[in-house]
Amino acid sequence: MRINTWYISSFFISLIVAIPIITVFTSFFEDTSNYFEILKDTFLFEYISNSLILLIGVLFFTLLIGVGCAYLVSFYDFPGSKFFKWALILSFAVPAYIYAYSLTAFFENYGTLYSIIKSLFGEGNYNKQIPKFDGMFGAILSISFSLFGYVYVLTRASFHYQSQNLIELGQNLGFSKRKSFFSIILPSARPAIVAGLALVAMETLSDFGAVSFFGISTLTTGIYNSWISFDDLVFANQLSFFLLLFIFALFFLENISRKKAQYHTPFRGGIKRKAKIKLNDLHALGAFLICFVVFFLSFIFPVLQMLYWTIIFPKNYIDLNITNLLLNTFHLVLLTSLILIFFAFLSNYGNRVTRSKLLSFLSTFSISGYAMPGVILAVAFITFISWLDNNIVKFLDLNSIKKVFIGSIMGLIIVYFIRFYSLAFNGIKSGYERINRSIDESSYLLGYSKFKTFSGIHVPYLKNSIFLIGILITIEIIKELPITLILRPFNFETFATTAYIFASQDLLEAAAVPSLFLILIASLFILITSRYILKD
Amino acid sequence: MRKISILSLIFILFSSVVFSGEINIFSARHYDSDIELYKKFTLKTGIKVNVVSGKSNALEKRIIEEGTDSKADLYIVADAGTLGAFEAKGMLQSGLTSKIIKSAVPYNYRTSKWVGIAKRARIIYYAPERVTAEELLGLSYESLANPKWKGRLVIRKSNNIYNQSLVASLIKNNGKEKTADWAKGIVANMARTPKGNDRAQILAVAAGEADIAIANTYYLALMLSGKKGEEQKEAAKKVKPFFPNQEDRGTHMNISGVGLVKNSPNKENAIKLVEFLLSEEAQKHIVNNTFEYPMIEGVSPHPLIVSMGLDFKQDSKTEVVNFGKNQTDALEVMLAAGWK
Repeated sequence: MRINTWYISSFFISLIVAIPIITVFTSFFEDTSNYFEILKDTFLFEYISNSLILLIGVLFFTLLIGVGCAYLVSFYDFPGSKFFKWALILSFAVPAYIYAYSLTAFFENYGTLYSIIKSLFGEGNYNKQIPKFDGMFGAILSISFSLFGYVYVLTRASFHYQSQNLIELGQNLGFSKRKSFFSIILPSARPAIVAGLALVAMETLSDFGAVSFFGISTLTTGIYNSWISFDDLVFANQLSFFLLLFIFALFFLENISRKKAQYHTPFRGGIKRKAKIKLNDLHALGAFLICFVVFFLSFIFPVLQMLYWTIIFPKNYIDLNITNLLLNTFHLVLLTSLILIFFAFLSNYGNRVTRSKLLSFLSTFSISGYAMPGVILAVAFITFISWLDNNIVKFLDLNSIKKVFIGSIMGLIIVYFIRFYSLAFNGIKSGYERINRSIDESSYLLGYSKFKTFSGIHVPYLKNSIFLIGILITIEIIKELPITLILRPFNFETFATTAYIFASQDLLEAAAVPSLFLILIASLFILITSRYILKD
Repeated sequence: MRKISILSLIFILFSSVVFSGEINIFSARHYDSDIELYKKFTLKTGIKVNVVSGKSNALEKRIIEEGTDSKADLYIVADAGTLGAFEAKGMLQSGLTSKIIKSAVPYNYRTSKWVGIAKRARIIYYAPERVTAEELLGLSYESLANPKWKGRLVIRKSNNIYNQSLVASLIKNNGKEKTADWAKGIVANMARTPKGNDRAQILAVAAGEADIAIANTYYLALMLSGKKGEEQKEAAKKVKPFFPNQEDRGTHMNISGVGLVKNSPNKENAIKLVEFLLSEEAQKHIVNNTFEYPMIEGVSPHPLIVSMGLDFKQDSKTEVVNFGKNQTDALEVMLAAGWK
């Protein structure tokens, strides 16, 4: 094995990603306060059972909505089916916490729904008749509507490749529509569905904004609270340990399913492209209504609620320094994208030229950051930096490094890096897989150096991938909440932190303006990339 | 591309250097009006005010982890219990003892490490058509545990700091054991599992979900002001405030306060800002924007607060330092009673 740049950089990346994991596990041995010794078992039980209920609820809804919509738009032709195909992914633009704000605003006592009913039917106390979507059920709905897109996109892609063959097969076997759906179509898309659900599950367990807004104690908020409020690292780490176990199980499940999903995809040229089945009037109406309701609830509803508030409380719009928030957001986006793409290139190129097993293992490890909740990443990062500072930097008599890493753009970007590296890495990887290796060899034969091959051939070839990754990172960073909240510098806010802070101050109507901008900007970027996300 | 990113990294490194003539505030009380107030201060003194806002526990964690390198000078929060608990962790320092501060703030609302800058009362709200004058007679926090309120009371969760401070004051006055029984009584009387913020409790009474609610004073004024929209203004008119414990120690008072952080790099400027916050100009600004009670004499609260009544007896016997001291016990008592 030759020690070269590729190994060093891959080790370096893996090391950075390993920081939070190592910090969580080594903290087991530290002394902490023994807060609420007696109540701990109760807490632990509550956190785990709440996390499980939340998880099961969200998986149920995302499965139902995601697969249902994917099935309708993939196999049938009905009014609006082309529109819904891409419109449904706009739900990615609405983070669960903003959905939670909308849900509360609309259904609360004397909320928006009350105003609507009052303006239609006159005065009266309708509050008791208005259902309340809060607490656990509110959280399940909020998270489901913001995450079902994962299941939808992956399942749709899988259905797309199978397209008509399966329906025909069912017809030939004399199956009813329902029977062919359950015994042929669904099982064949299973790997894609499982991969989608695993992503949903990881995001659900990581959710911080929505559950803390509804006041539900889950493992994630439990870690945050016992670490941050009670300084009880042992308990926080017990919780983290449980959570990470959960998450790594899901991570492997997802990886395995993805591989299987690839295995199921084409027979190139073997797909018989046929027109989708045209639905008759009543069925078409049904299909339209289902997709419309999902689109309405997942995207139009929160946008309208936020817009309504922005209009009736215009002062909040005037007071908000939107240019500043935009600049901050794009500052973060630009730096993070540059760094992520640079390292993703380095690592992928290293894998390509060395074809080393060790390197490819390290890369698999280094993309595990996306499975870890942002809260854990941020808190573990702070703990790690102060440990480093107290034990090594001070020992070497150097200047403190805390200022450089905690509450600075630098620290923020490092943690973003850990969280979003998989996005960049996988994006470049799938781009590379499309460049035939013989091109590299021809380039060497022509006397190009490795670097020249990289900069002169690979980079231009992968322009599209870079563009796509940049936009996906942008969408993620615009929506990102816990990491930004914990690590941001002085006087530095993004749309997400502004919305969250207003909401936590009981100023939901003021949270509407940054929320609305967040959704609109994210939607814009989603529309730009919809072609890629829904690639046929 | 690569050069640009390296250059910008270097730029960022340098841009985080601290300049003199500033104050760094960590604030869990991030009203826009506070920011306006800091701007006034900067205009007057030329001292730049930097603000990091967030939830109190996250801010505290950051100050603790940064240790001696922390840039935090002042820590501003909306509850004495938070300041007391932070002091107990050894994270605040003495220094808020100037003549101006001492003469402005009554002794029960300050220590040498932190002082109150505004007051708020945690009171009872009731629905006049469902609660009789007789029931209100002599009503106290203690008597809310009486079974006659069964299924009629709403209050937020036990993890809420305002509740913790209220219960801490009860522990100080009545002892832990009695308060533990009281908490059980309160839980038994709840009309629903605790949820939502203080405003949601008042709205629940207006909507008929409950007859009485416990919430802070400024919420009702906020709703009456129309800043929360017409609907809530109308709803607020359906409930009435009641100031409990008038026959003994008085109504539970809490503060918005500011603490001097242990490793404050700009201590002198920080003290100047605290003194400014206690000036007549600043106090007027605060009470008119946040609907709190002024900390100093001679400033009138917002007219909406005045209309709720000013001639009530405030609990000036229970020093607010007790809220921090008894916080752990308070939370334990509530959780043991099954207070969600």
